[in-house]
Amino acid sequence: MRKTVIEPNGKNFQYWKDIWNYRELAFNLAKRDITVRYKQTKIGLGWAIISPIVNMVIMTFIFGNLAGLKPDGDAPYFIMVYAGSIPWGLFSSSVTTTSSTFISNAGIMKKVYFPRILAPVGALFAKIFDSLISMSILLVLMVFAGYFPTWKFILFPVFILLSVILGMSAGLFLSAFNVKWRDIQQAIPFLISIAQYLTPVMYSIETIPDKYRLLYSLNPATGAVHAFKWCIIKEIPFDFTSFFIMLAWIVVLIPLGIISFRKTERTFVDIV
Amino acid sequence: MNEKPVVLKIENVKKRYMIKRIEDKNLNKSEKFKKGLKNFFSSKSSKEPFYALNGVSFEVRQGEKVGIIGKNGAGKSTLLKNISRITEPTDGRIEFLGKISSMLEVGTGFNGELTGRENVYLNGAILGMTKAEVDKKFDDILEFSEVGKFIDTPVKRYSSGMFVRLAFAVAANLESDILLVDEVLAVGDTRFQKKCINKMLEIASSGRTILFVSHQMNTIRQLCDRVIVLKEGKVIFDGDVEEGIKIYNDDSNIEKKNHYDYSNTPRIQTFINNHSEIKTLDILNSDNCIYGINDPIEFNIHCKTKKENIGDISLRISIWREDETPVSSFFSKPFTNINTITDFNVKVKIKEHNLAPGLYRVILTLCGNSSNKFCVDDMDNIYPAFVFEILNKDGTSHQWARVWGNSEIKDVDVSII
Repeated sequence: MRKTVIEPNGKNFQYWKDIWNYRELAFNLAKRDITVRYKQTKIGLGWAIISPIVNMVIMTFIFGNLAGLKPDGDAPYFIMVYAGSIPWGLFSSSVTTTSSTFISNAGIMKKVYFPRILAPVGALFAKIFDSLISMSILLVLMVFAGYFPTWKFILFPVFILLSVILGMSAGLFLSAFNVKWRDIQQAIPFLISIAQYLTPVMYSIETIPDKYRLLYSLNPATGAVHAFKWCIIKEIPFDFTSFFIMLAWIVVLIPLGIISFRKTERTFVDIV
Repeated sequence: MNEKPVVLKIENVKKRYMIKRIEDKNLNKSEKFKKGLKNFFSSKSSKEPFYALNGVSFEVRQGEKVGIIGKNGAGKSTLLKNISRITEPTDGRIEFLGKISSMLEVGTGFNGELTGRENVYLNGAILGMTKAEVDKKFDDILEFSEVGKFIDTPVKRYSSGMFVRLAFAVAANLESDILLVDEVLAVGDTRFQKKCINKMLEIASSGRTILFVSHQMNTIRQLCDRVIVLKEGKVIFDGDVEEGIKIYNDDSNIEKKNHYDYSNTPRIQTFINNHSEIKTLDILNSDNCIYGINDPIEFNIHCKTKKENIGDISLRISIWREDETPVSSFFSKPFTNINTITDFNVKVKIKEHNLAPGLYRVILTLCGNSSNKFCVDDMDNIYPAFVFEILNKDGTSHQWARVWGNSEIKDVDVSII
């Protein structure tokens, strides 16, 4: 029989093995999130199509037509804004969901043990599922606009995953502070709605003057969103600066996030 | 005899919580504000340590069924939480072999929107089962839960009984080597409770190790072959079931005397409105609260109202067995109507209680005008107000078997016809 040792300060060497043993839980939680959302709705999955399209139409009208923001390369504005909002949406919801893990799941976590990290992982699987629906809508829109994708399109899963990993590692880092000070929970949606304007979602990264480019690229989401747009839009240069800055953020945030999350999960039930 | 291997080893486990100092209550507003400001800027706030577990050590061998008992706040649930890894001990070491599963509360993680079937799989996964394991157990779970054809209905439409039955069925069919149970047997109707206990007995006889926390001494007697008594975070007894229960009962009883002063007795504040309070009590007709089987019980209570115009006051007397089994209650008619802040005395004589020999506790409640509604407008509640013992005519309390219940039926005509 397997032997488990529990000692203070997380000297629990079974942790990673446990995650493997409980792996099915992440899929079950994702399945729950997806099924529950569309239960007792008449058009069910239709909501996953309607809301991004309406959002896209409004953004195209206000920022594309009225404000005259420029799209990347030769893409129609509405294709660019729709493409941009997919990685941005994933990044922002990954930060929000992951950072509030301990609070939103406190009910279960106070009663049952499972590797806590599976709760955000499960929730993010559901978000990735949503983004796959958005991707198929994007394809339909592109065909409809006569703007056919190139070979770069097949790389999109890489950039989707990068957006999620970036958002999740930031969220893991923030989750620890969220337990102690609920201010974080108030601040995150607020900061995210501001950050959307500092990220090339509704305009091209080329719009930013060269002298501010580096500063602008320090925003980790810049690299993620731009790289994703690169695989959708034909004539657009790959911006290596912002991409590598984003990778650097991931390399720093993953260990920081995991350490901070591990430290919190051991005793957070005593505080929450 | 060949001793079974040790499967759970608890070594000097401590769990510390930081709690707010009590003296903060007495500060005035400006002092409070200064203190709050100071705390905001320094990490060392005015908190002091409280040890919910203070050096607990014991070993459990395979197949043992251990009952853990103790008063509220003795550390029972904290201990289970540490063993089940919900939270981490502050000090010490816990070692176990195999898989531990806990039934700390049934229905955790159930989602009302999902059907019974979907919830079984989700709950199974939360409790650490794989889909293949749940598949294998699904028929057993369905049969045990008696949910039947409603298994594909969202559980939000279940009756509360169906809900807990399904939840218990999932938890009870878990595959694990060590099972932690915390008071979950009190679910469903009496028939289902019996079924739950039988299920636990079945699990117990299958050689699994069980740690069982309960206030129900009868369930402990049925299920356990060893008892650990906790008090203030420490093990005060470890061994024979009956002996442990006796120590627990002695520990939770208050001293038998003739005068009681309740001014410092803690109350459960959520249940009462404090409009009036019971100050003292004097036993009138007995020394040391020992009565013969037909003796009346007489006492005086001294009360004080704390608010004007509180209207009718009545008294509720509940009698519990020493093991916390409720036995019977008395509801008085409103006996006074007081509109000013004043003291008053009440004399009580329980003429025919019909109680069987044994140890009892008395719970006194001052109520508003509806004495037989629980907690609706209770003003004060003292638990236990005092303890008394009923003895047989020959001066013993042992000739009454527990299975005969707690009261003696009087006035029965029996004749041959």
